[in-house]
Amino acid sequence: MTAALLRFELAAARSGRTAPLFAVGFALASLGVTFVGLSAGGVVAVQGFARTSVSLLQLVVWVVPLLALLAGATAGAECHEMEFVVALPIARARLLVARWAALLVALGAALLVGLGAAGIVIGSLAGAADGVRYLALVGVATLLLAACLAVGLALGVYARSRTRAMAFAVVAWFVLVVGVDLVAIALLAILPAGQASWGLSLLLLADPVDAARVLGLGLFRADAIAGPTGAALRQVLGGWGAWLLVAGLAGWTALPLALAGRRLTRRDL
Amino acid sequence: MIVLRQAFKLFGDRLALAPTDLQVRGGEAVALVGPNGAGKSTALRILAGIIRPSGGAATIDGRDVVADGVGARRGLGYLSQRLGVPATTVVSDLAALVAAVRGLPVATARAALAEPGLESRADATLAELSGGQRQRVMLALATLGRVDALLLDEPSISLDAEGADEVREAIRAARQRGAAVLFASHHLHDVALLADRIVVLVDGRVVAEGSLAELAAAAGVPWSAELVDPPIERIYRVLVGRSRDTTVEPLRLVRGDAA
Repeated sequence: MTAALLRFELAAARSGRTAPLFAVGFALASLGVTFVGLSAGGVVAVQGFARTSVSLLQLVVWVVPLLALLAGATAGAECHEMEFVVALPIARARLLVARWAALLVALGAALLVGLGAAGIVIGSLAGAADGVRYLALVGVATLLLAACLAVGLALGVYARSRTRAMAFAVVAWFVLVVGVDLVAIALLAILPAGQASWGLSLLLLADPVDAARVLGLGLFRADAIAGPTGAALRQVLGGWGAWLLVAGLAGWTALPLALAGRRLTRRDL
Repeated sequence: MIVLRQAFKLFGDRLALAPTDLQVRGGEAVALVGPNGAGKSTALRILAGIIRPSGGAATIDGRDVVADGVGARRGLGYLSQRLGVPATTVVSDLAALVAAVRGLPVATARAALAEPGLESRADATLAELSGGQRQRVMLALATLGRVDALLLDEPSISLDAEGADEVREAIRAARQRGAAVLFASHHLHDVALLADRIVVLVDGRVVAEGSLAELAAAAGVPWSAELVDPPIERIYRVLVGRSRDTTVEPLRLVRGDAA
């Protein structure tokens, strides 16, 4: 039954326009960043996996959360329109997880198209050095996608209506992408150095977008631009920081899904 | 068997359904009638597990719809007044899901769509179908496979004469197969034709319950089983009007009350 539900949700995700549009748009943006993002002095040049990946990472941490939050929120709100499916002998939580998994597959494939196109161009023009790290970056982007989809689904389930869900998603995106950084800067200004490190490390776990950004920068040893939260995490946790961030992103996936499943199960449709 | 035991529903402080007792046995068809907002859909949605009762219990084949929702819905067919799935859903995808859930091959679902002549629209989305076609697709899927309890909320809505015939046939077929059928309808002629018992709801309360003969007796409307066109509309208006004129306890009839 789970397979049938997943097939049903995959078909629904596939038939929508979101994934193909995302694939095309993200591929174009990735190629654009690949060619010109880090070109020195305005000269168009591909600069190898390491530096180009750092630019691509910025694209990932801005675009992926926005799209995933919006798509997840819409899908979460849509659960309230599914009387016919809910009246089948299917647990509501299972329906929600199937929606999440189907969106992850559909949007994950689109993400692969975008980053894959960029990877092929970089590899063919600048060689395969750091190629494995680039693959790890794709993994980080997928983790971020999974977490933001889960958050979006939870927002949609709580919001109930699509319009409200979309509004929640945009606010959440702003908070996660910009708001937490502002809090980090404030913490740095207010707290003494030692306390600030712990505070910033915790803040990193409280924000999947920043966690993915620091994780991605760490892959390419771009320590200098990892920001105050990234620097704090390295200081506090050393080499374990990366694994903690992966666990944090997994938590950001599991916890919203669990909360949304519980809410959907216990509330009237 | 479909059972409501003192089940009631509050939306905020509004009583959508007063404590209600109802039983529909296998092979029996019971109709819920009443004005808009009477609580018909609320009762059906409680039984389908869409909303939770604020109190009391609802069971399908002995399984509580809240405590064992998945078990209770195993043999349930439900046709909602709303579409119940996103309009972008492709008909064949939905059919495949229902077939899989009921343990049937996908071909069975395709065949079920062929019956009302909709096999050529299997690859269309629900949004691409007319209102009547959508309703027929959803009815075909709600009654697909072995269904022990069938809940239909305004099944004839937006259907032409042919579609309405299909609904009547689906109710008769389900009852003959031994399913318990509970349906809400404003089409009183259909109700008179199909229902073994009729439950009249007004403002969330059951104001009358019984066979057509019993309700006719309660309403004081002359009735004879030989009547080709039973005066159900008159009976309904008398019972609804009376319930609104008085604040007495709900009228409850049992079989044999009718003279």
